[in-house]
Amino acid sequence: MQINLNCQLSNGNLPQGQTVAQRQLAIGVSAQRPPHNNLPLNLCLILDHSGSMAGKPMDTVKKAACELLNHMNHHDRISVVGFNHKARVVVPNQPVDYVERIKSDIYGLKADGGTCIDDGIKLGLVELAKGKDGTIGQAFILTDGENEHGNNERCLQFASLATEYNITLHALGFGDFWNQDILEKIADVGGGKLVYIPDPSAADREFQQLLQRVKAVGVTNAHLLLELAPGVRLAELKPIAQVAPETIELNYQQEGNTIVVRLGDILTDQERAVLVNLYINYSDRQPMVAITRVQVRYDNLGYANLLSSPVDVSARITADYRPTLQPEVQNHVLALAKYRQTQMAEAKLKQGDMAGAATMLQSAAQTALQMGDRQGATILQTNATRLQAGTTLSEADRKQTRIVAKTVLQPKPSP
Amino acid sequence: MIICPSCAHPNPVGATYCEACFTPLAVPMTSTCPNCGAPVRSDAIFCGNCGFNLQANPAIMPIASGVSMSNHPETEELPEPIYGATENLEVPSPDVEELPEDPAYQPHTITPMSPLPTPAVNKTQLQVHKAALFHVQTNTLIELPTQLPVLHIGKPNNLVPPDIDVSGFPDSDIVSRVHGDIRIEGDAFYLEDTGSSNGTYVNNLPLPVGNRHKLRSGDRISLGKGDKVSFIFQLL
Repeated sequence: MQINLNCQLSNGNLPQGQTVAQRQLAIGVSAQRPPHNNLPLNLCLILDHSGSMAGKPMDTVKKAACELLNHMNHHDRISVVGFNHKARVVVPNQPVDYVERIKSDIYGLKADGGTCIDDGIKLGLVELAKGKDGTIGQAFILTDGENEHGNNERCLQFASLATEYNITLHALGFGDFWNQDILEKIADVGGGKLVYIPDPSAADREFQQLLQRVKAVGVTNAHLLLELAPGVRLAELKPIAQVAPETIELNYQQEGNTIVVRLGDILTDQERAVLVNLYINYSDRQPMVAITRVQVRYDNLGYANLLSSPVDVSARITADYRPTLQPEVQNHVLALAKYRQTQMAEAKLKQGDMAGAATMLQSAAQTALQMGDRQGATILQTNATRLQAGTTLSEADRKQTRIVAKTVLQPKPSP
Repeated sequence: MIICPSCAHPNPVGATYCEACFTPLAVPMTSTCPNCGAPVRSDAIFCGNCGFNLQANPAIMPIASGVSMSNHPETEELPEPIYGATENLEVPSPDVEELPEDPAYQPHTITPMSPLPTPAVNKTQLQVHKAALFHVQTNTLIELPTQLPVLHIGKPNNLVPPDIDVSGFPDSDIVSRVHGDIRIEGDAFYLEDTGSSNGTYVNNLPLPVGNRHKLRSGDRISLGKGDKVSFIFQLL
């Protein structure tokens, strides 16, 4: 499978006569659609069946999980782990053959007890490991509450362990009382998506969307390699972030003079966009300034550490300099700005600085408007106005804020 | 170091976007003292190093508020940012309010003559830098009169008569009557928004009220949202 790399500088020109300039490098990564079928899925559903799920939520989740089975291929593998304050295996890892028996096992889940997410993740990883050869490992973690019996640190350790085993974790928050901080971190560390399900009735749709996404996984365990040219350095603060399809702050490692960033799964139908904030020190002796060489290292169909063809990025020194930005990169910059500004607003809210939070939220709303994200802007602005009026944000508002900051909301499908 | 006006994050030299919140940063202007050569802030009245009275310089006398050492154009862009240097951008210049009350004042569109008694300007402006705005939608070129220190952009009103009247252009209803100013300081042109309703955009980025943007040839100025009344700034 081929990797498509699309690199673009925020402005490919550098003004003559200066010595240092800040540039953003947008790197779009996607995989080409394979001519034949891809590797089978190895999916684990890690479902919360604590007492708070009792009634309609539990029923819709069971129904959604069973519906999910109908859309899986027969060579895919499924396992289901249920957790309250303890975790247990509901469906051991197996091919999707005896659908009816798997469904009756899922329907046997009863809602009671507390919540311990980390045990659920741990057992889920154990189940996934049983079928990990020649498959694409994915886990959906669904919860509706705080991790009251567990340890959030341990959750993240398991999430990073999952990425070492090349398993992607997706987190689904159900209702309004889950902890958006920990669930977002699990999804970010686990390389997956954070989904907010405000209403039980939406569970089915969100499950299906997530299944579509994991079916579109082209290559796994992808790493972005950046070989910076001399004179080029990363920004000091959080220089690398993913900005599409959702915003995630990415960690990086330095191997020699190469910067390595883990991307995880690369989808065939959706481009992953990464924004790198750089400073370029240059002199105008040469007309062109080399900036970086970009390459992707990935696993595909059982082969590990494949390399994509490298892309060299350079900038031109011009006397007739115009400070205009590439519109696409501009949009990525705005997406990251929206996320960061919302994060700052939330941090200020936590410190009790209501006015500061409202101001920050308002600038996030303006940023959203600038990038054409009207729905996001409306939500952010509503919350900013609410804070200015002196009322607090409800739990649902906070979840929604987090989601609109991370992504551009897709318009709801008309019924 | 450049402190972000939005989140107070200290950014390294050369930053055009805040590293923390990606707010576009206005790079503060510095210039050099004509007496001792020390770097001074562009709005400084006295040189901090030698005490030279920067406002006594005849080249900059007639310009009441923001002051730059116009005879050192190549040093103006030195990235020597200073904390809080953006403050100077918020000071409303007194002559904006005074101009309309000046009986001698008339918009240049009627009589292209200097409204202010500025003999000093004529004496010291060795080179007259000519500039023009190119209206994108109608392909019209408007030459900027350089003998005025401040050019008001807007539509006819009874407070600040516009020097650049855009009421004749299509979609001019989104432009405020008192929309913005172009200030000419030496050979530098600055764009300011003077409290327009629909905002001013430079190269598609908003120009907040109180900030000013040093215009470079090729900058795209949009009055109001939607890029409907747009000009390309050109140095001739």
